[in-house]
Amino acid sequence: MNAVELERVSKWFGRRDGPPLHVLDAVDIAIPQHAIVALLGASGCGKSTLLNMIAGLVEPDDGAVRLNGIPAHAFRDWRAMTYMFQEDRLLPWRTAAQNVAFGLEAGSMGRAERARRVEETLALVGLASFRDAFPHELSGGMRSRVALARSLVTEPKILLLDEPFSKLDPDIRAQMHAELLRIARLRAMTLVFVTHDVEEAVVLADHVVVLHPRPGRIGEVRAIALAYPRDPLSEAVSEEVRRLRISLSAARARC
Amino acid sequence: MLVRTPPDLLRAPPRAVAWRGPAAAILRRSALLALALIAWQVGAQHAPSFVLPSPARVWSAWSSLVVQPSFSADLGITLGRIGAGFALATLVGLPLGLLLGASRALGSFFEPALTVINTVSSTIWAIFALIWFGLSNWTTIFVVFMTAMPLILTNVWQGTRTVSAEHLELARTFRMPRRKVLTKIYLPTILPAFFSGARLAFGFGARVSLVAESLGASSGIGYRLRQAADLVQTDQVFAWTLTLVVLMLGLESLVLKPLERHLFAWKKRVA
Repeated sequence: MNAVELERVSKWFGRRDGPPLHVLDAVDIAIPQHAIVALLGASGCGKSTLLNMIAGLVEPDDGAVRLNGIPAHAFRDWRAMTYMFQEDRLLPWRTAAQNVAFGLEAGSMGRAERARRVEETLALVGLASFRDAFPHELSGGMRSRVALARSLVTEPKILLLDEPFSKLDPDIRAQMHAELLRIARLRAMTLVFVTHDVEEAVVLADHVVVLHPRPGRIGEVRAIALAYPRDPLSEAVSEEVRRLRISLSAARARC
Repeated sequence: MLVRTPPDLLRAPPRAVAWRGPAAAILRRSALLALALIAWQVGAQHAPSFVLPSPARVWSAWSSLVVQPSFSADLGITLGRIGAGFALATLVGLPLGLLLGASRALGSFFEPALTVINTVSSTIWAIFALIWFGLSNWTTIFVVFMTAMPLILTNVWQGTRTVSAEHLELARTFRMPRRKVLTKIYLPTILPAFFSGARLAFGFGARVSLVAESLGASSGIGYRLRQAADLVQTDQVFAWTLTLVVLMLGLESLVLKPLERHLFAWKKRVA
């Protein structure tokens, strides 16, 4: 069974002035279990809308979204799928551990079990010794790890990421990429992430979905058959980056 | 040609004035206090004592006042009324402010009511209270409530506007129920605004409680103040005033400041 299925999904956004904006047009994507999929495209191609649709935050106007075979509107197990934003969005009044615990507070869980999971997840991202630090006392990379831990603490099967780590320095970003891949494999997760950064897509994903803009539709689905870890400076990665850039610019030339 | 550095940049920066640090603060405050006492003393020498009693006379009136059994009774009654009015104001103002802030429809519906309430002066509330409750504790409690509640409500309401849309979206991705969003996102965000509103409300409440007591009570500090004024015991008025000032300063430095430091330890210190 596929982790995520989008079947001929379309979306229009109403506008105050002018006709509705056609954001997505008949998008078909099937994401198998344990896949790492990048939704790659320029801004305005509807990739964030697509991600929000998978997350159940936006309803499609046409077509169907299924998660583990269940229609998105009937999907209830929200712990099994979490969402990570571009920014860390930590609550400044909470310590690192308390921020991680936030991921579990929507539901009801015993105090002891919650504490155990929080400690375990903090250790997983290498922040056990910073559990009592407030966000303003942490570096950008550490904050990003706390945010990652918050998305992981529910032990999700599917992790959605909206332009992950794009606000971090390149070095820290590479570290976070390695960390994410390690954890995804360890926990057998499916990752779906949105990015406009071609290199990030190639370094992380086993499949890259190239989206074309206005209205957003699939241009190409490219399998990246390279062994992990992938060195961004290697020939093979550069070649994939080049090919995807060509695919992206073809889309730009058409509009 | 040589690039010349402007002479100002070569000079050492001016030394920081030694008027800093806790010792200097104590010194500054003492100087201010001494100055005020001297002015008071000089003023008292040129006025009859029912207009302006001397510091020594006020001091002796105060020392005999505080040992009377009725002193602690009056103090307790007034503080109890302020406390009750303030507690009720918090109990109503905080959740109502949160609710009006979290719901746009409710907020825009009730906004005019708040404006109207804010235009009514505390003295008018005191007069209404006197008509409705007579000479009872409720008169003062009501006036404190009507003064403090809108202040708390308004501050909390304003505070909800600083709630981050990003944090709300985060809660939404975790499917956090609305009630939990209120307590886990809204409440902590508005806490600083609530705190400053509550502090303001308490100060106002404490002051108008005396007005209410002097109009509609047969006990408490406000009542004693009016009694002293009626009997032209100006030194008594001063002694009660002194008591209140000491009380408020103590509350600020022993309760409010430490509480604020504890609650907002997460805030980045601005150097």
